[in-house]
Amino acid sequence: MSKAPVAVTGIGLVTPAGIGAEQSWRAVLDGTATAAPDPQLAGLPVDLSCRVTGYDPRIHVGGRQPWRLDRYSQFAVTASREAVADANLSPGSWDGARVAVVLGSAAGGVASYENAVSTVRDKGPAAVSALTMPAFLPNMACGQLAIDLGARGPALSTATACASGATAILTAAMLLQAGACDVAVAGGSDSMVTPVCVAAFAQIKALSRNRDPGSASRPFDAARDGFVIGEGAGFLILERQADAVSRGARVRALLAGYGSAADAYQPVAPHPEARGLRDALVQALDSAGASFADVDHVNAHGTSTLLNDRAEALMLARTFTSRPPSVTSVKGVLGHTMGAAGAIEAALTVLSVQHQVVPPTGGFAAPDPDTARIDLVVGSARQQRLNLALSCSAGFGGHNAVLAFAAVLSPLGTARSQSAARRPG
Amino acid sequence: MNEIRDHVISLLVSKFDVPAEMVTTDTTLEDMDLDSLARVELLVTLEERWHISLTDDDDSSADISVEQLVQRVRDLVDGDAGEQGRPA
Repeated sequence: MSKAPVAVTGIGLVTPAGIGAEQSWRAVLDGTATAAPDPQLAGLPVDLSCRVTGYDPRIHVGGRQPWRLDRYSQFAVTASREAVADANLSPGSWDGARVAVVLGSAAGGVASYENAVSTVRDKGPAAVSALTMPAFLPNMACGQLAIDLGARGPALSTATACASGATAILTAAMLLQAGACDVAVAGGSDSMVTPVCVAAFAQIKALSRNRDPGSASRPFDAARDGFVIGEGAGFLILERQADAVSRGARVRALLAGYGSAADAYQPVAPHPEARGLRDALVQALDSAGASFADVDHVNAHGTSTLLNDRAEALMLARTFTSRPPSVTSVKGVLGHTMGAAGAIEAALTVLSVQHQVVPPTGGFAAPDPDTARIDLVVGSARQQRLNLALSCSAGFGGHNAVLAFAAVLSPLGTARSQSAARRPG
Repeated sequence: MNEIRDHVISLLVSKFDVPAEMVTTDTTLEDMDLDSLARVELLVTLEERWHISLTDDDDSSADISVEQLVQRVRDLVDGDAGEQGRPA
């Protein structure tokens, strides 16, 4: 069955590097780490984090709603509104019944939940906030976006840990291609920089113990020893390309293909050969009608953990034998924003394709024998011809998702534009 | 009494983002667009601060004014002080 080409017409970001896509993009291109000592983590085994700074919900959400929302929902509202405006769409002028929201989150409003647990313990059940349940349920950011945007189409939440945001985007593409909606607001949001989450990640040695903020997150580096926890949100506006073209929308890039596969191996460790990630990658290329040789760039999951980066680098090196693509990981700058990461990285990959430039991998100094086998972009941004770029995501549980973005004027994009033009309606 | 009134008004403005000009003694909770969730949270917050137990009679709290709410809190605080022989 032929699938309708999907266009990316808007993006929105809230990241540790900035509030807004433009600010985040410039900071990622610069390559400077955003990690910093976090006073709220004092006394924990790890006290570095990549927080969103300068975020004021009274300004960035506004109205009478901020006090009701967990921080992860606030981020989602801010980033999704930016994406909608970027697509030159407006909740006041669209048919809300044809607008879908798909939001991925690894932990929902976990900070609100932790607060409630403390309250029950310290003050008793009568003191628990009435907002606790709507603040922490993992679907509530999605529900809030539907309310905020007047989106009455499918409203779905995805939970595939750190692949959640990417899973949301590919789910939204499926909805568009199935005709279940005309516009999809798709992305991820998380704010897991909390005492319990940091303590729990530290227990399984997932977090870097490096106390230098500039090099703690160092994807694919020989001295990497874990990730730095971050927070944020990223959203894309997806439309069938024919619809986007007919309304005169600016198409930033095409979502040419996508893939989703499980490792079926181990709860927290990736498969040593990144089996599921490779399967998802192959699916993404198949659905894009592309081959390995067509891939110009990979925005890697690249967490800065020993196991992920080794498995991912080996898989990429073994997969792309004839024409190695450039590889980057923006987690060197942004840290690991958990369920938001896949969506934030998808948005940054779209910008790479649109502007034909690859950001550097922050924190990187030297490879080890495994990671030396990939063409990692380091030091400064690289101008490069990008017809097709992949964004790879993986999550605890063995979830993997790969998104393939094509430049509008690339051979793939042109072919899809012609296909879209021939499509009736 | 003034301390309770000041707290209620401050709470409405600072926590619930009610515009200050909207908060008068006669304004009802419904007038301030406080829905059922917000009203429960308001009562929970007052209970916590004043160590009292406020009963939400179905949706009646939507109709009560700021002054009536202040009076309810004061009655409970005074009653509690009288029963237990300690100042509020």
